[in-house]
Amino acid sequence: MSESFVSRCLALGLASAAVSIVSSSAIAQSWRTLDVARQLSDSAPASVQVVYGTGQIGVRATSKPLLYHMQLRYDATRAQPRHTFDVASRKLQIGMQKSEVRFSGRDDADAAHLQLELSRSAPLDLNLDLGAVESDLDLTGLRISRLHVESGASDAKLRFDSLNPTRMSVLEVSVGAASFRGDRLANANAADIRIDAGIGNVELDLGGQWTQDIDLRIDVTLGIVTIHVPSDVGVRVTLDKTLASFDHEGLIERDGGWVSKNFDSAPHKVRVTAETVFGKLSIDRTGR
Amino acid sequence: MRTAILPLILAVAAAPLTARQAAAIQQNPKSEKPSADSSARVSAPAVAVEATDSGRVQLSKATSDSLTQLVSRFRRDPEAVALPPTDQIAMGGRTIPAGTAIAGPVAVAGGPLHVYGTVNGDAIAIGSDVIVHPGARITGNAVSALGSVTLAGGTVGGEIRQLAGALGAVPQVAAESPARSTRHALALSSSWLIILVLMAIGVLLFAGEYLDGVVDSLEGRFGRSFWAGIATQLALAPVLCLLVIALAITILGVLLIPFAIVAFVLAVAGLITLGFLAIARITGESVAPAASKRYSARGAALRALVVGVSIYMALWVLASAFAWAPVVEMVLRGVAVAITWVATTAGLGAAVISRGGTKRSAPTASFAAVNDIPWQTPTPVTGVVAARRPTPSSSPRDR
Repeated sequence: MSESFVSRCLALGLASAAVSIVSSSAIAQSWRTLDVARQLSDSAPASVQVVYGTGQIGVRATSKPLLYHMQLRYDATRAQPRHTFDVASRKLQIGMQKSEVRFSGRDDADAAHLQLELSRSAPLDLNLDLGAVESDLDLTGLRISRLHVESGASDAKLRFDSLNPTRMSVLEVSVGAASFRGDRLANANAADIRIDAGIGNVELDLGGQWTQDIDLRIDVTLGIVTIHVPSDVGVRVTLDKTLASFDHEGLIERDGGWVSKNFDSAPHKVRVTAETVFGKLSIDRTGR
Repeated sequence: MRTAILPLILAVAAAPLTARQAAAIQQNPKSEKPSADSSARVSAPAVAVEATDSGRVQLSKATSDSLTQLVSRFRRDPEAVALPPTDQIAMGGRTIPAGTAIAGPVAVAGGPLHVYGTVNGDAIAIGSDVIVHPGARITGNAVSALGSVTLAGGTVGGEIRQLAGALGAVPQVAAESPARSTRHALALSSSWLIILVLMAIGVLLFAGEYLDGVVDSLEGRFGRSFWAGIATQLALAPVLCLLVIALAITILGVLLIPFAIVAFVLAVAGLITLGFLAIARITGESVAPAASKRYSARGAALRALVVGVSIYMALWVLASAFAWAPVVEMVLRGVAVAITWVATTAGLGAAVISRGGTKRSAPTASFAAVNDIPWQTPTPVTGVVAARRPTPSSSPRDR
């Protein structure tokens, strides 16, 4: 019995067993698309809770007179959509029932997606609870009074291409093992920005229209944090690091922190309070 | 009224259902394919009426049966809304004239629902569209299954909902029959048995020496191996954390963390497999010792491995065979888990102690057979000194 014969037998046996396992664990799928929307009756503030476990999600503003418009593609055997709007409390719950999201290792991420469009007229308290999803949150044109994004293992992008007409009380982003990128965050019109990341890279672009000073709090356990700040904005960094490095080029040490040379004279300031255990924090002041 | 119905009859007769709608009715639920675009419009039959209630449309029996079937499927859909009785659903389409208010739900199938007036409740179109014309008002939801909802100037107080893809009840995993679930469970456990036997053959062929090393370490030191296995299991997470921390200290090391984690997992999986196969071999040798003349050394090892793996996996196969009886299955699986865990833990400990089978235990000192009778100490009678008995530890010089 030659070794090549044995190898062929081994390969054949393993392939047969693998096919048997896959076929025995196969579950019927039932892919559906659901398109739900609600006409905009007034511009009263609304609270939006988005829950989505796995797949791709996109959020943007709608140009139609709608409060919301969700296009969802999902496997009905493994998840149940949710789309409820309480007219009295103006609370919208939309997305998928998170408790029923199951991971199978199949092509969920490629096939499942959610596209949500929200009204430009109504001020929104937006809360996104995302699992292992690839998210593209283009909040340009929306009136957001508060934003909270919680994301698990995912690749998340957040952008504001124009100024948020409503002053945002707080912008909170909490990501697990993921990469997060925020573009033109000054347009968010938030005085308080909080980023909490477990493991992963965080890139924040504070470009856009500055209307107020910003307090930026970053807590990253393991990863690389890069903050892009326009050159005309004053920067002050207070860093609590354990085994991390800090690229403070262009900053001078003062009062227990690091400040830019124009900090006192700049029309707007960003005060960065960073806490990181492992990794690197960089401040890029070349502007973007 | 009659003049209003006539165009509808003609329209439905010309195009009672679109190809998509007809396909949706006929399709087998198992082969259903979702539409790529949920908001795709379905071409509605041309209906010229605007100001009169169209009432009912007469359809052929085949079409009516198909639509009834589609309505029945829609009723079972989790995204459906409450429908009126089937005999109150307008097959072929309906128009709600301007200036009229109708209590909902209003439903149509196989033809469009034109709303010019007011529907106090839900407006539903199955296999067709809902068109909300200027001045129209729907106080509830506007729902279309396999069609679209078109807002042409009217208002919808509730939700605008369009469903596409597989329509009907969701196939539930839990609805699997006991026989089917038993077959699945048996297929799964049998497949793992095959995989483990094949892995055993592969390890014996290509890593036989390492397996021998682990077997040597395990034989006679089961207790020590078992405790070493438990210690190893407890240490896995801290060691992985330390590894990540050590790599994270350097910036370049951060990039290596994913590779290090994968390598760590692979190494642990390799040690567990090697250890399990070693204990399976010992079990096989114990249960079915091979006659030394019948098999070569490798053949005997292979036989022992196959027997051992089969014994351990037999527990799982047995548990799977009782998938139709959940309580029995749970008990058997519990037993299988316990026995497999003990075996795997001891095997892992032996694999760690023997450093993956590369470190052999020191050969046991061999005692030469000594005939004791000539060396019986004679009873001292006359003060004769007894000769010294040779022992294995005696050096030649001592002798």
